[in-house]
Parts: sequence; C-alpha cells; structure tokens
Amino acid sequence: MNSGESGNVAVIECREVTKVYKGAVGRRGMPVCALAGVSLRVGGGTIIGLIGPNGAGKTTLLSLIAGLILPTGGAISVCDHPPRSLEARRSLGYVPESPAFLPRYSARAVLKHHAALHGLSKAGISEETERLLAELRLEEYADRAVGGFSQGMRQRLALAVALLDHPRLLLLDEPSNGLDPIGVIELRRVLTGVRQSGATVIISSHRLGELEKLTSKYVFLHQGRIVTFGGETPVEQTARLRIEFLPGSPGIEEEVLASYRPLEKSDTRLVVGVGGIEDVPNIVSSLAKAGAHIVGVALEEQDIEQTFVRLCRERRAFAACTCAGWGPVRRSS
Amino acid sequence: MFAWTGCLLPLVLSAGIFGDDIASGRIRMVVTEPIHLWELYLYRFLGLSLQGAVHLLTAGAVILILHRLTGRGGIGHLAVWLLASWLIFNAWTALSASVSVVARRDQNAMVVLLATIAVMFPLYMLMLFFQDSLGTKVYHEIVRYAGPPVELLVKMGRGKCSLPGCVASVAHSFALIALYGAAGILLLNKREFTYVAD
Repeated sequence: MNSGESGNVAVIECREVTKVYKGAVGRRGMPVCALAGVSLRVGGGTIIGLIGPNGAGKTTLLSLIAGLILPTGGAISVCDHPPRSLEARRSLGYVPESPAFLPRYSARAVLKHHAALHGLSKAGISEETERLLAELRLEEYADRAVGGFSQGMRQRLALAVALLDHPRLLLLDEPSNGLDPIGVIELRRVLTGVRQSGATVIISSHRLGELEKLTSKYVFLHQGRIVTFGGETPVEQTARLRIEFLPGSPGIEEEVLASYRPLEKSDTRLVVGVGGIEDVPNIVSSLAKAGAHIVGVALEEQDIEQTFVRLCRERRAFAACTCAGWGPVRRSS
Repeated sequence: MFAWTGCLLPLVLSAGIFGDDIASGRIRMVVTEPIHLWELYLYRFLGLSLQGAVHLLTAGAVILILHRLTGRGGIGHLAVWLLASWLIFNAWTALSASVSVVARRDQNAMVVLLATIAVMFPLYMLMLFFQDSLGTKVYHEIVRYAGPPVELLVKMGRGKCSLPGCVASVAHSFALIALYGAAGILLLNKREFTYVAD
C-alpha cells in the first residue's frame, strides 16, 4: 500500500483504489487495469505534480477524484465527501485535458453559465466573471465565440471556469497544453496564487521542467500503481545520497531502511533517495550510531526529469498489473 | 398535430440531448460543477417541454386561424387535443432523453424507433392471430399502460372518455413521464463520463 500525508486535513484521500475498464466490444474483450490499489492522502495548501509515463493511469486517477468515473474497488473522498456528492463538487475545480464548450457561447457567457451552476447571486456571477476574465487575461476575447478559440485559449477559459467560487481543490490535466510561453508563465502565477490561498492543486503533466518550477512534491504513477520513493507519497525526494563505508557493519542497512528507501546496495556502498541536504546529517548520524565506518558521503542533486527517467528504468521490470477479482487484465499502456 | 408534434418532433428535438455533450466531453465541464444530476436532467427536459408547448400553441393558433378563415373542420376538441399532444410529446421526450444518456445522437431516435417497432409488431401479430388469448390481452395491457400512452391520449382527444377517465389519463401520462425520467436520471448517475487510456 502506498500511503503518505501532506498537511493536516486531508483534501483527497484514496484508499486502495482500483479501476478496471471492462473490455468493450471491438477492444478484444480484454479488461484494462488502469489503477491497482492506489492509496494517497493529500493535505491542503500544496501543489502536487502527478507524473508517469503514458498509460500510467494519471487521467484515470484525476477522473476518479473528480467523480467522472467510478472506482472498481476502494474508496475516495474529497474534503471528507464522496467525489460525486454536491459537497465534493463545491470544493473542486477540474480542467480536463481537452476542455470543450458550446461553440456559440462567448467566454463571458460560459463563465456566467458556470457561475450560475455554483448558485451565485446575480451580483456574484458578474463579479466572479469579471474577476476571472481579468485574472486569466481573457478580457480582450470575452465576447468572442468560444468555437473560434485556440487550444491555449480554451485551456485558459477552462482554468477560469475551474477557479470559480474559489475551490479548495484544483485538478488540472495537462493544463499547459497549447499555451504559449507567456500563457505558461501566467498559469504559473495563477497556480502559485491559488496555493497561497490555501487550496490544493494536483497537476498531471508531461512538462516536467514546468512542474519543477511550481512544486517539489510528486506522485509517480507507473502501470496503475504509485511508485513509493523514500517511503512517502507524495514524494519529495529529488536527490540521491551516496554513502561509502567499510564492509562488515551489521544493521546499517536496517537503520537506513527504517526511514529511507535504498536505491542501490552493495558491501561498501549504499545509495538512498533523500529530499535534500537537510536529510544528510540525520542519515549520517544514524549510521555512525549503528557503528558504520563511513569513508565518504556524496549528495547528488537530481532534477525531476532525471528522477523520472531513473524511476521509469527502475520500474521496467515491474510486476504485471493485477486487479483483485478480475483475473488476467491487460495493462493500460 | 398529435402525430407530428406529439410523437415525431420530440424524437428530433431530444436526439443527442445528453449524447452530444458526452461525446464532445462538454459534460465533464458540467458534472463537476455543484449541481445534482437530476437537476441537469430536469432542466433539459423542461427546456424541451417548453419548446414542445410553444410548437403546439403555434400549431393550435394556426389551426384556429385557418378554421376562422375557411370555416372548415371542427375545433370542438382543440384544447383537449393540445393537452393530449403536449402530454405525449413529454412522454416521448422523457423516453428519448433517457435513451440519449446511453446512445449517440445518430442512434438515439433509431433506438427509440426500433424499440417501438420491436414492441408493437408482436402486439400487432398477436392481435391479428390470437386476439382472444389471455397472453395477448396481458401484453396489450402492458403496452397500453407502460409504453407511451398513445392509445389512451388519442381516446381522450377524441372525447371518448369521461371526465374522471380524462383525469386518470393525464395522471397516468405524468406518472409515465416521471418513470421514464427517473430511468434517465438513474442511467446518468451510473454513467461514466470519460474513457481515456492515459
């Protein structure tokens, strides 16, 4: 089970969530296991990057949290409510990978329509609409039909819709798709503001460089499972600590294993994933107390791209995805 | 008026009422908003029902004007026919909108039409060859009371039922509309709104 916590109050809690897409006619009748026993707990006021290779189950996880699809097994709660409840929907804003709107509506009409669905008063609808048009720099295009919008413009409008009524949780599926560099910078500014207001943001993206500018917390999905990295989910480790020591010190690995996941082990070397330099004294002092003869310590900083590539390589021999009660299933990739 | 506006127009108007939004992904932007799915169904149904009412009132006004101008035909039961047409319009709309939750626009009306044929053709054959059999009678009653109430409303429009009978027909029609609507809402609640392999 993957578990972990960020913050005190859980905005999202997934317990052993499994999602199997039943095999449809024309898809060779084989069920597809998209998620297998995913457990995750995310607190407030944080930005989390949801990363993983194609077919890892990122969009499925976001769709489950948004209540768009139903889990095959396990339980999900959004702000302590089931995802399809009214309370959960009041708390969340969702931006799909390809947002779609009625093409004849203007951006202003779309925002007013969605603001009305939030149950805002007439004054509140106008106020929220104008605030978000300004915040997302959409005023110039506010009265144009959405059907003529580019992908980037639709993304910005979808983000504006998701930000209506100040959600506690924002789910973004590839939000920078089609955005120009200025749009990406604007997106970063908006999301930073959202986080500062105490909301939680989950971003699924393949643009790791962009993610890195927003957060250091990641959930790595691979073949429908969360890959634990250093024993925590979401992971925050982006560095490797290499420790060289003399052989023959029993119990050293156990000392490290208690808190950190070893990435490499040999008689004279131990490599563990750590969050940063602040973790080094703890590990070194634990090892020293356990009687290790340390001869060298080196911290190798890794950016998220390197971490991603390494995790993908490590998981290459990952066991076949199995979902309890469903027998053999096809992997989602 | 009963056949066109009451029975055929709803199939055209309600085709893809949910299917289009589901296929284009627009529904994902709506169902994540704080709104009950039954509200979504109800508002769309009421929108269609209003369109039906406008069509029927316009048709009624045209019939009235033509009658005044030409003096042909009878308008004694016009109001009852308008009510009967509106009720059957709503029944077909609720049925078709519910089918729309699970069928694409291009299949929506076809599914309703084929289902109607699949139900009516055996009934027609049974009535032709086994009119007095108990099975035929039971099947006929099921179709009469569980299917769109065409027969009962035509009877009402022709003025062939008493006032309590008419009231019962109206109540029966509303009950069926509610039943078809409830089935649509149930399907909407069970429905998943995306399937993406990533």
